[in-house]
Amino acid sequence: MENTSAPKIEIRKKPLKTRILKYKWFYLMFVPVLAFVIVFYYTPMVGIRYAFTSYKLIRDPVFVGLKNFQRLFALPNFWTAFYNTLKLSIGKLLLNTGIAVILSLLLHEMASLKAKKLAQTIVYLPHFLSWVVAASVFQMLLSPTTTGLLNQLLLKLGIINKAIYFLGSSESWTSSYFVINVWKDTGWGTVIFMAALSAIDPGIYEAASIDGAGRWKKMRYITLPALSATILTVLILNLAKVMNLFESAFVLQNDAVMDKAQVLQTYIYYQTFNSGGIPDYGYTTAVGLFKSIVGMVLVLICNYASKKVRGRGIV
Amino acid sequence: MKNNFEAANPANQRHAGKKIGVFHIINGLFFLVFCFLILLPLWKVLVDSFDLTTGYGMKLFPEKFGIAGYTSVFTNKSLYIPLINSVITTVSGTMIGLLLSTLGAYVLIQEDMPGRNMLAFVLLFTMIFNGGMIPTYIVLRKLGLTNTLWSVILLPAINVYNLVLMRNFFEGIPKSLFESATLDGCTPMQTFIRIVLPLSKAALASIGLLFAVAYWNDYTNYKLYITKETLYNFQMKLRSIMMGSDLPQANNGAVENTVQNAAVIVAIIPFMILYPILQRYFVTGINMGAVKE
Repeated sequence: MENTSAPKIEIRKKPLKTRILKYKWFYLMFVPVLAFVIVFYYTPMVGIRYAFTSYKLIRDPVFVGLKNFQRLFALPNFWTAFYNTLKLSIGKLLLNTGIAVILSLLLHEMASLKAKKLAQTIVYLPHFLSWVVAASVFQMLLSPTTTGLLNQLLLKLGIINKAIYFLGSSESWTSSYFVINVWKDTGWGTVIFMAALSAIDPGIYEAASIDGAGRWKKMRYITLPALSATILTVLILNLAKVMNLFESAFVLQNDAVMDKAQVLQTYIYYQTFNSGGIPDYGYTTAVGLFKSIVGMVLVLICNYASKKVRGRGIV
Repeated sequence: MKNNFEAANPANQRHAGKKIGVFHIINGLFFLVFCFLILLPLWKVLVDSFDLTTGYGMKLFPEKFGIAGYTSVFTNKSLYIPLINSVITTVSGTMIGLLLSTLGAYVLIQEDMPGRNMLAFVLLFTMIFNGGMIPTYIVLRKLGLTNTLWSVILLPAINVYNLVLMRNFFEGIPKSLFESATLDGCTPMQTFIRIVLPLSKAALASIGLLFAVAYWNDYTNYKLYITKETLYNFQMKLRSIMMGSDLPQANNGAVENTVQNAAVIVAIIPFMILYPILQRYFVTGINMGAVKE
């Protein structure tokens, strides 16, 4: 949040009215920004009241109290989606961050600056491709048919004797999902750690060398502690976004793997736009409200943790 | 920004005088393999897009080279409109996005402005809590924006995260410049256009790129708000090609897979060409967020 905790040394030379007048042009400049935020963020918040109604667009919403939530909590599908959301988001967060830290440490140790730059350019690349492209690429690469590179390779090496349907079977979908996420985003995840690493005073390394510390000891006692604050920051910031998982799961899922791939956002999507019958917007709003509240609680916990750990809130 | 920083930082120069040991060789080999694994999936798509045989399997070079996959893609008129839609939304969305981000950021750095903290809170609160997918859909529908390109242009244009990045950058501009501009008789708008924007070219470039990539890659907003096929962007089109429901007619000996691979390459090639030149701006952008640390 804004820095409200700082001691306020306000020297009010002029009355409020004069100061407001002084800034009148700035208020005017803020109008477009405010208009966008109100229309696209705050008006939908008013729509949360539909969560307590039955709302089928053609008719006016009818108040039903907490019925939507009762229906929701009684559905096993809903709990599966909730569990999958947490599993996939937190799993990929820990996996991506862990590998990104190791990658950064190794990148940092690279002998040639040119090679380092080249490696960085390459590992950042997949982050900027869309999820549709990533899904398309891996759909072909992991295909069980003769066009799928990985299956053909494993068959030829004799590691498997029957092609695996990596994205089409419940057993392998989750691990495939994690691998694709690592491919796409881990490289980009190193950016923030590389910045933290280049800020470490080289004098400390020199002093350690003189004291006889080897590469491993330097990494263990200097580099990693220096990174720990950044690692925590990254984890906390991303934990706040855990509930929003949508696109990556949506483009990689298919009917055969829904028990593993259905997350809350995709559940809302299918219930509203692809349910076959007349969608009840009230019900899907209720699912969304539940999701938002869990998300907000996570943010507040993270904000509290953030204040404890690094002395200031998230934003 | 990062490049200068790195060059100036002795931490990176310490490698220079060091002799290259076994560790460095293993480390180098590791990155060789890692980069190979990152590029392999994309290389495979490129190879297969030029291969006219049916079962490519393990080949890392085309067996029967031909460009029929690409002629199938480019002679297919149903792909022109999605490409045009992608360009329209990317260009106009990026402009509006930059306008809102710079205006908002400029107002938020006015320290003495009454109500500044409240305005900042109004923006930041949206990062914590939002109405959710369905209420947002209902609002856009009631405004008559669904099934128009306005929905996919205007909604992503307000991006609080990018606005905060921009504010962090603006905070680095010396306050004295604003004061002297005011003394010279500049109105706030004139200061904004003549002082702030010209000094922020790097920030405009990197945040503009963040917007452009997001617009070009957008799929979720189209999926939610657009059902009319004539308004699809290239990502939507690519998706339906991959799902097999909308495959362009394969011709000149191209098989289905070749066409799909060619379509993926067409979707990423503009970016792949620009990427090596633009890469440093992306890194600048993310480091701007870290400036406040």
